[in-house]
Amino acid sequence: MSGMTRKLSDNILDKFSMDFLRNQVLKNAYGNDDTLIAKMDPRVLIAWYLFFGIVPWFANDLIFLLMSFMIVVVTTLMARVAGLVLALFILGVFSQTGYLLIATLIFGGDASAIVPLLILTLKVATISLASITVFSGLDPDRLANGLMWYKCPERLSFSISYAYRMLPMLMEEFQNVLLSYRMRGNPPDNSTFTGKIKYLVYQVKVIIHAFYPLMLNTAKRSRTTVEALEIKGYRYAAVNKEVKKMKLASLKVTYNDMIFLAVSFLCVSISLLLTSIL
Amino acid sequence: METMKKQTASQSQKLMVFVLTMALYGLATLFTELIPSFQVGIVEFSVEYFLFIPLTLAMLFDPMSVALGAATGELVFSEIMLGQFGGLGELEKFITLTIGIYIAGRMVANPAKRKMVGIAAMSGVVIQQFLGMVVDILKVQFAVTDFEAVAGLPESVFATEGFAFLNDVLFSGILFCLLPTLFLVPKLYGKIEPLLGMAPRTKETALGAINPKVIIGCVIAFAAAVCSEMLAESGMAIIDWEAGWAGSTTALAVGMIVAAVAAIIILVVMKKMAEPKHEEEMG
Repeated sequence: MSGMTRKLSDNILDKFSMDFLRNQVLKNAYGNDDTLIAKMDPRVLIAWYLFFGIVPWFANDLIFLLMSFMIVVVTTLMARVAGLVLALFILGVFSQTGYLLIATLIFGGDASAIVPLLILTLKVATISLASITVFSGLDPDRLANGLMWYKCPERLSFSISYAYRMLPMLMEEFQNVLLSYRMRGNPPDNSTFTGKIKYLVYQVKVIIHAFYPLMLNTAKRSRTTVEALEIKGYRYAAVNKEVKKMKLASLKVTYNDMIFLAVSFLCVSISLLLTSIL
Repeated sequence: METMKKQTASQSQKLMVFVLTMALYGLATLFTELIPSFQVGIVEFSVEYFLFIPLTLAMLFDPMSVALGAATGELVFSEIMLGQFGGLGELEKFITLTIGIYIAGRMVANPAKRKMVGIAAMSGVVIQQFLGMVVDILKVQFAVTDFEAVAGLPESVFATEGFAFLNDVLFSGILFCLLPTLFLVPKLYGKIEPLLGMAPRTKETALGAINPKVIIGCVIAFAAAVCSEMLAESGMAIIDWEAGWAGSTTALAVGMIVAAVAAIIILVVMKKMAEPKHEEEMG
């Protein structure tokens, strides 16, 4: 029995290894650039997101919220989002409102609490799915360009491009540091209950200790990065209008973008019609 | 020399600190987003956040760059990359995190003094968590209409939020912020600064204690965070306002549908017209 549970936990740990996480994140970022969503103009998609990311918060109408929810479900499917992200989404929605429902029931609430909580859940779910569509569906570089066009701080677009490029390297380095700690360390025996707690404390300790070399290495690397940026005149280019114009010249609104917007608009109007009739 | 008086970093050094914090804290929040939390009794053991990273760095480097870098890192790595971007809610998280880290960083004049480092680390966590709790309670109160009317909901929100606050401060605060910061700050002090080409912070070069200006700035920033939530509340009137048109809403909706259908047809036709032309040009 104990052997089986150990096998099971090993299996789960294997699935949740660093490589798996890295692959999922990378797949999410670069894996699906042949979908319709990925090919869209980032500016149009961001404008679309501004509607579906904000309006549901203000709306309280169940039909409208259901309709918006269906729209974003369809777009999420179109964007072919990585499984890990969807799992996180479901977990996130539950942790935001599901536990509230349980707590409400414990504190003597009854079925009357379900409708407001359903509305709240729909709101949260719609907004999250809209953001998953836009931020997971779009290529990071296109997303950064789109944000730049909307005059977002240059730092933000830079951070997005930088983060996607550096993440695999950072993860690998963190993994290497952890492995070297594990190789040299002597973990406590984890067969008894106190041993298990000791083992957990040991693990947490190793993770925290691992940040010491990681901080020093990253400090060196960020200095190299910034110096390379300086050589290329990054800080000057970031505020220069000519450079920005050249960077954004690749953006182009196509018919597909317009059709996408029009279809979304149609769905919203239908939901408004239903609201007013019912 | 002027630069000796205050720990002023040049613009490129500030960018270095920003990039450093963003990368490290972003990586850490990515893990916390992925690691499932587990519960023992009523205490939730989650690796709530690796707040010790920006706290440590804020005590060693320019606090403002660290605070902004940490908030951006969390936004980019764990929210945008994983598609967890929550719209309006993120602004509030961004601001509370920035305030907490900035104040903690400003509190430490001499990183070699362990006592001050500990006090600052705890204050940073308490400030950040407390502001977060206030905004969370307000948010639920505004998002659910007839908040008071739903039986049991107000108490449950106060209870869960209050408990989450205490849990975060006592568990995550001590284990994942206080102890690691106490371990890392003295160890990194004097070692990491030269890597970025800076002099270590000493009592003479520190930015100075927290003055009323800092507090006023933080209060204004927090007010902005709450205001964004309040705006959400006032925006709720949009749908009601449309319903106020009574009979004409249906007509309006029909008009909108007709316009949308017409737009789709026109666009599809235009796309079809454009495609063969393109092929002819190619051929």
